[in-house]
Amino acid sequence: MALSDSELVQKCQAGEMTAFQELASRYHQKVYMVILGLLRNREDALEVSQETFFRAFRKIGGFQGGSSFYTWIYRIAVNLAIDAQRRQKRNPLEFRESMDGLLESQDEVARDPFVDVHDRELRENLIKAINDLTPEHKAVIVLRTIEGLSYKDIGEILGCSEGTVMSRLHYARKKLHDKLSAFL
Amino acid sequence: MNECERIQESIGPWLDGELNSAECERVRTHVGSCPACLAAQQKIEKIDLALRSDLVAQAAKLEFAPFWRALERRISEPRPWYQEWRDRLVSAPRSAWAVPALIALLLAVWSFDSYFPGWRGGVAARSGFAAVDSIDAHGRSVALWRENETKTTVIWLYEEQEGEHETAEEAPKSGPAF
Repeated sequence: MALSDSELVQKCQAGEMTAFQELASRYHQKVYMVILGLLRNREDALEVSQETFFRAFRKIGGFQGGSSFYTWIYRIAVNLAIDAQRRQKRNPLEFRESMDGLLESQDEVARDPFVDVHDRELRENLIKAINDLTPEHKAVIVLRTIEGLSYKDIGEILGCSEGTVMSRLHYARKKLHDKLSAFL
Repeated sequence: MNECERIQESIGPWLDGELNSAECERVRTHVGSCPACLAAQQKIEKIDLALRSDLVAQAAKLEFAPFWRALERRISEPRPWYQEWRDRLVSAPRSAWAVPALIALLLAVWSFDSYFPGWRGGVAARSGFAAVDSIDAHGRSVALWRENETKTTVIWLYEEQEGEHETAEEAPKSGPAF
């Protein structure tokens, strides 16, 4: 029977590397997905994901279990991704290159005959519209849409109230809706 | 704000399962009978789906084995001693207060002379304290004059004439540069 996250955390704290490996295997794609949603660059997302798990490993000894492991690791991931995004914003040339890289990757997906041009346009414009959001607004929409987390969990991860999560999400969706109305 | 605007604000939380049962029922009933609000609901769902499918497809390509190998290598690398200390400092409780506290301390030390004139036995309390020194190899000098009572500081940059340094007691023949 598979161990729960909290049991694995206890084993990690006792020095079992395999327990941390199990936690990493459970969450590496989810963490990567959230970070990719914020950064929109695969290489940066991979680097920040590695950094997230590296820091989690270093700090797991002090993890008290007051929150669940996934909210804890998402908090580390989102904070690192927001920092990286601010650095990215300060270097717009690098940012443009990273966006182009992602659109190229989407061409590979679009080779599927069932994906039509309209959907491709929607995806491309969705990337642009999401990049125009602030890191905080982007974080709520990614955590909600990708991970399906509750407002309470998102608030815990971002260090804000459920009401703030709700209003940020409403604002972010409205912005996306306004920018994508031609493609919806 | 009309009923449709109110409902459209609640469609997101409704789809997210964050409304109580009474509010859920109110939104569901309205959306069922209002084409504009139904369209708004479908647009939110379409955006969510597009975003999710894009990222899920990207994340599915990330294999665990190479990810773990790179992570394990990094974990097992010996760390320099100063990184351990830096981590402790950064993760120390309330470490965010360390920087402003340090700045406040430095400001306090710097302004000590102003608030407590004479604490060094009268040296700092002297009014009209001046220092003259050459600041480069081209004969330019700086003079500082401070008046403690009114806390006025004058910084005076000027250029020495040839041979002037040999007669330092004389007043400078040229006027101040500015």
